[in-house]
Amino acid sequence: MASRNTAKKSLKLAPVLDLNEATALHERLLSLKGAPVVIDASAVERIGTLCAQVLMAGARSWEEDRMSFTFAKVSDAFVKTTQLIGVDIAPLMAKEI
Amino acid sequence: MDMNEIKEIFFQECEEQLAELESGLLKLNDGDRDPETVNAVFRAVHSIKGGAGAFGLDDLVSFAHVFETTLDCVRSNRLEPNQDVLKVMLKSADVLADLTNAARDGGSVDEARSRQLIKELEALANGELPQAAAVEPVARPAPVAAPAPAPAAAPAVTDEGFQPVAFSFDEFEANEPPAIEPTTFEILFRPKSELYAKGNDATLLLRDLSRLGEMSIHCDMDGLPALGSINPEAAYFAWKISLKTDKGEESIRSVFEFAEWDCELEVTLAGDHAAPGEELPMQPVPFDLSMLDEEIPASAGAGEDDDQVAAQQREARDDAVSAAATASNVLQMAQTARAPAESNRSAASASAAQAAAQQAASAATPTIRVDLDRVDRLINLVGELVINQAMLSQSVIENDTNGTSSINMGLEELQQLTREIQDSVMAIRAQPVKPVFQRMSRIVREIADMTGKSVRLVTEGENTEVDKTVIDKLAEPLTHMIRNAVDHGLETPEKRVAAGKNPEGTVRLTAKHRSGRIVIELADDGAGINREKVRQKAIDNDLIAADANLSDEEIDNLIFHAGFSTADKISDISGRGVGMDVVKRSIQALGGRINISSKPGHGSVFTMSLPLTLAVLDGMVVTVANQTLVVPLTAIVETLQPEASAIHSFGASQRLISIRNSFCPLVDVGRILNFRATQANPVEGVALLVESEGGGQRALMVDAIQGQRQVVIKSLEANYTHVPGIAAATILGDGRVALILDVDAIVAASRGHSLKPEMSLAAAG
Repeated sequence: MASRNTAKKSLKLAPVLDLNEATALHERLLSLKGAPVVIDASAVERIGTLCAQVLMAGARSWEEDRMSFTFAKVSDAFVKTTQLIGVDIAPLMAKEI
Repeated sequence: MDMNEIKEIFFQECEEQLAELESGLLKLNDGDRDPETVNAVFRAVHSIKGGAGAFGLDDLVSFAHVFETTLDCVRSNRLEPNQDVLKVMLKSADVLADLTNAARDGGSVDEARSRQLIKELEALANGELPQAAAVEPVARPAPVAAPAPAPAAAPAVTDEGFQPVAFSFDEFEANEPPAIEPTTFEILFRPKSELYAKGNDATLLLRDLSRLGEMSIHCDMDGLPALGSINPEAAYFAWKISLKTDKGEESIRSVFEFAEWDCELEVTLAGDHAAPGEELPMQPVPFDLSMLDEEIPASAGAGEDDDQVAAQQREARDDAVSAAATASNVLQMAQTARAPAESNRSAASASAAQAAAQQAASAATPTIRVDLDRVDRLINLVGELVINQAMLSQSVIENDTNGTSSINMGLEELQQLTREIQDSVMAIRAQPVKPVFQRMSRIVREIADMTGKSVRLVTEGENTEVDKTVIDKLAEPLTHMIRNAVDHGLETPEKRVAAGKNPEGTVRLTAKHRSGRIVIELADDGAGINREKVRQKAIDNDLIAADANLSDEEIDNLIFHAGFSTADKISDISGRGVGMDVVKRSIQALGGRINISSKPGHGSVFTMSLPLTLAVLDGMVVTVANQTLVVPLTAIVETLQPEASAIHSFGASQRLISIRNSFCPLVDVGRILNFRATQANPVEGVALLVESEGGGQRALMVDAIQGQRQVVIKSLEANYTHVPGIAAATILGDGRVALILDVDAIVAASRGHSLKPEMSLAAAG
């Protein structure tokens, strides 16, 4: 993680990631492909299943590309929702946080 | 669309659902064990419950809920739908119909009866589940793929959390959630993309689920594609959930109530105290999820005391439920607006496959609801068109002697077209007799109950179509006849057994088309008419002379006389002073005829023959004393040119005509209608042999036959006033008004009765 810091792109998630946001989130993530990405989920108050799906699909694609895909900061709501829906984000948490 | 209109649509759909419910139950009663039949019945009740909840019709909802719970036991094979069970269910269907009617039209229902049925239904549901309350079935031995919908406000919500706005379902059982040992359920939840498309979010469902107890979850992400190929609005995640709860399976399913058609859901009991999902990594779900409630800001939840959080949770939950309910209703209404016939079905189907099949079926025959007034206006206009077309033809024939073939051809085409238009318009009003027949099965059940007889109603030809007016007016006489058939016609089970018959009596109701009319037969396999008794009664009532010599047929037809009832004692059911004479009059008012044939020991058959429509009539146009009259073709058996040798005088003024070695009274129509003062010479005229009400024949004498044509019936009552002996009027091609004869009234008058207004039929619509 420490290396290639300069090439990293970051994405700050909107507070409300409901059903309507999934497409926009998808597009934004796609536009970041090809570079390691750090997701800032600190402002997230609500996240729905569709956006969680997009994020996890992103994590997979980045993994396939052997690029890092990490969550830098996460809000309590974000963590709890992912726990609720059984999505384990622990492996994706940035180690330095 | 205002609320009342939506409500009206709901009630219309209720009627459809009730019909569906009843026919399904009857199928089950006949031994049909197709799961789809059970599902259809379940769906019908469920849809009514759902809609009623949206309108706050609490009585309807509570009853439907208990009914639905018991039906669910049948659906999950925990309750065998035997005759006893179905008896209760059929009665419940009746009460549900009553409650629906009461909700629509005001009025009250027999509360004692519905309470009693609620008890019986609960007992049925309980019978298989001794340890659980009827309304909270828990032990479900086999996994059921089709989710069992349950009240939206889950029983988990205590009474203070009760919201009257949306789904006031479970007030009578939600107060005291039955104590159930905590049980571990395994839940498989696989949303479909539709779930998200309809604005539902699996996250919210899982959140609600987690509130029911201790939950751990595994998210199946195997179906998730790479970011490049993902459809951000499609469903990929699926879940396996292990939930330890004391709320029962019903509460679990209620979480998914508004999503059940958009997901695959399996709820099964986990093995006793077994560690759930050993093979899958299960992630425990944090107990405090309060910050996930939309109403609470993300920062909240830290310093709040438990009570407050709990209260908020409840509130939020209820709001979410009402929101979901509203969303579902809005969705439903939107669908209603698009395709009303389809909406409730799609909302009610228990599984996606069924829903798809049904939607395909309803897509094949899309329907619209149209105000009857509009159709009637159209029919009236088409009637005018037919008349106008006839007038046009006539004036062309009168004025044009050169015979320009193009005009004639055009006229012929116009004639064909108008006839086709007329037929098509008539077809709009034509409806199957099914709803009326279905109503009869309830009548049979009730009378059978009251009389302690065991009766089976068999209906045939329910899809036979007839004009809506005829259908509407058919219910009353038919109800009365059915009552009579069960009360008077069928014997008690003991007598039946003694006579070597099946203790269960059969009443058969058949409809069929026969030569442009609809023939409805009501047959029972009872004792038949006791002719001795009827005869004696007729003599006692001074209907016939003591020494009158009557044929069997004539005796049988005596029961159609006013105030005639052979039941020894006046019962609640029949013999209320409305006799078969009333039945006969209402059938006649429809331009129909009724006949009875009876075999002692084998039962009676009532045959009603009714016109298919009250708007047009095939008639024979005749001349009587320079007047043009129309005789309904259906009444005419044959026409003949009398010869002088065949005419015989009888008594002072009566004349008979001999036809093939039998004598038939000759009726001078012109004389009866006072068109002329003296009797006409029969040899100069034409005799129309007509069938009269008693089954006997009469020869109506007219001066000449002009032809045969279809005429548009115009009501005399509506446009002028009632004329004895005349059924209605029509407008002929030359613009003149012709009167349509009331054959039965004319025949009755010829028997010495005067032409009294009540004797004639008011056929016109």
